[in-house]
Amino acid sequence: MPTPAPAPFPYAGPPELQQPIVDALMRVVDPEVALTIVDVGLIYGVTLADGRAHVRMTMTSAACPVADVILDDVETELDRVLPEPYTIDVELCWEPPWTPERMSERARRFMQG
Amino acid sequence: MGRAAAPPPQPALAAIRFVVMGLVAATLLAAVAGGLVRAGIAWPLRWDEAHAGLAAAAHAALMMSGLLGTVIGIERAVALKQRWAHLVPACTLAGSVLLLRGQALPAAALHALASLLFVGVNLVLVRKQNAAHTQLLLVAAIAWAMGNLQWAAGASGDVLHAWWFSFLVVTIAAERLEMTRLMRREPAAQTSLLVIVAALLLGALLHAWMPRPAGVLFGGALLALAAWLGLYDIARRTALTHGLSRYMAVCLLSGYGWLAVAGAAWAAMALGGPTRDLALHALGLGFIVGMVMGHAPAILPAVARVKLHYGPWFYLPLALLQVSLLLRLGAGAVDAAWRSTGAALNALTLALFAATLAGSAIAWRRRHGGTRLTHRTRP
Repeated sequence: MPTPAPAPFPYAGPPELQQPIVDALMRVVDPEVALTIVDVGLIYGVTLADGRAHVRMTMTSAACPVADVILDDVETELDRVLPEPYTIDVELCWEPPWTPERMSERARRFMQG
Repeated sequence: MGRAAAPPPQPALAAIRFVVMGLVAATLLAAVAGGLVRAGIAWPLRWDEAHAGLAAAAHAALMMSGLLGTVIGIERAVALKQRWAHLVPACTLAGSVLLLRGQALPAAALHALASLLFVGVNLVLVRKQNAAHTQLLLVAAIAWAMGNLQWAAGASGDVLHAWWFSFLVVTIAAERLEMTRLMRREPAAQTSLLVIVAALLLGALLHAWMPRPAGVLFGGALLALAAWLGLYDIARRTALTHGLSRYMAVCLLSGYGWLAVAGAAWAAMALGGPTRDLALHALGLGFIVGMVMGHAPAILPAVARVKLHYGPWFYLPLALLQVSLLLRLGAGAVDAAWRSTGAALNALTLALFAATLAGSAIAWRRRHGGTRLTHRTRP
């Protein structure tokens, strides 16, 4: 089996689930900035172990009320691709704080036109 | 695929949400009715003269501190996730009810309490994330408190309008500053925004003592802010995308145009020009309601737990907003009849937007069968 390309965020889990998880998270878009949460750099890491999928992520602003909606969207998209035994746990964290350096090359090109 | 049970329904929470949404809608209706009376239009429903007079006198307070103070208070409480923060919208709603019952002093006191609590909410947020945009949100909350404390002390007119508008404008500026972090920003961009906000607040502060220079400074700051947003905001980029992102950007960019108009009109008003309606409503409707219309499809699911299906029909109320403002503020400047017609169409715009939101919520439920969201989470 070929080794998958590195994920755009730290990933620990079965290699065959890496790409479906990346694709699922790439389907969650922040409409305000027209970018996926992966491209904005909001995902700090995904760990799959002991039947649990643990996602660590952040927001660009602590004053943003849509955090829960984005967390719900993450859970919904992961639920579609993860096999049955896994439970999903999305953790919102503020350390380290988000900085523009976390944006993907694609996001930078888009924003810099 | 089997899924774990959805979280149990919370009827008490749903009932509170229902009551709050009802009170927000009632505040909006009363504020709009008051605006129509001011524009010389009789409210179409049964409405005695005393209540019509109260609503007309309270129009600005109901719109800015009552309605938008409540909405922003809820939005921030949802972000903070602390129950006590919901005291802010509870106080503004109770204050708005008292205002419509003619109890002006207790109403102003409750609004003042709400805004002081809101300063506390924003202090907690700054401790959570100490950044330029959260600090500016705190400054906006202080501006709201400044206005409401003066209201409770008996001030009226443009002294209050300047503080209330400062609260709303600085809140928007803070949120846009946060978004500009995604663009390659000139180092001077943040500093120049802080200078503009300082000028705006100084203008608001001086309105009580020297309205002429204060108004020119306030209007000039609004004009400068419009230029800043036009230069640095991400809306210039996201307008080139599609769907909801493009719609949001179009709302923002049209709002920045009205902000520039409002700035020039506010300065002209201070110098004695007949531009008061233009200044207040280019700012309140063109800029601020434009922002609300742009953000509602993203914010409403978060604060009201109602999902919306976005579609191009969202452009209809936005277009009507532009047309009604052009009639009211453009043609209305030369013929008072157009001003009244434009004001009536402004009210119709809000009704059409409310209908658009309701229709989009129904469209989402039809597409998704009313399914709840969370399933296998937090075992």
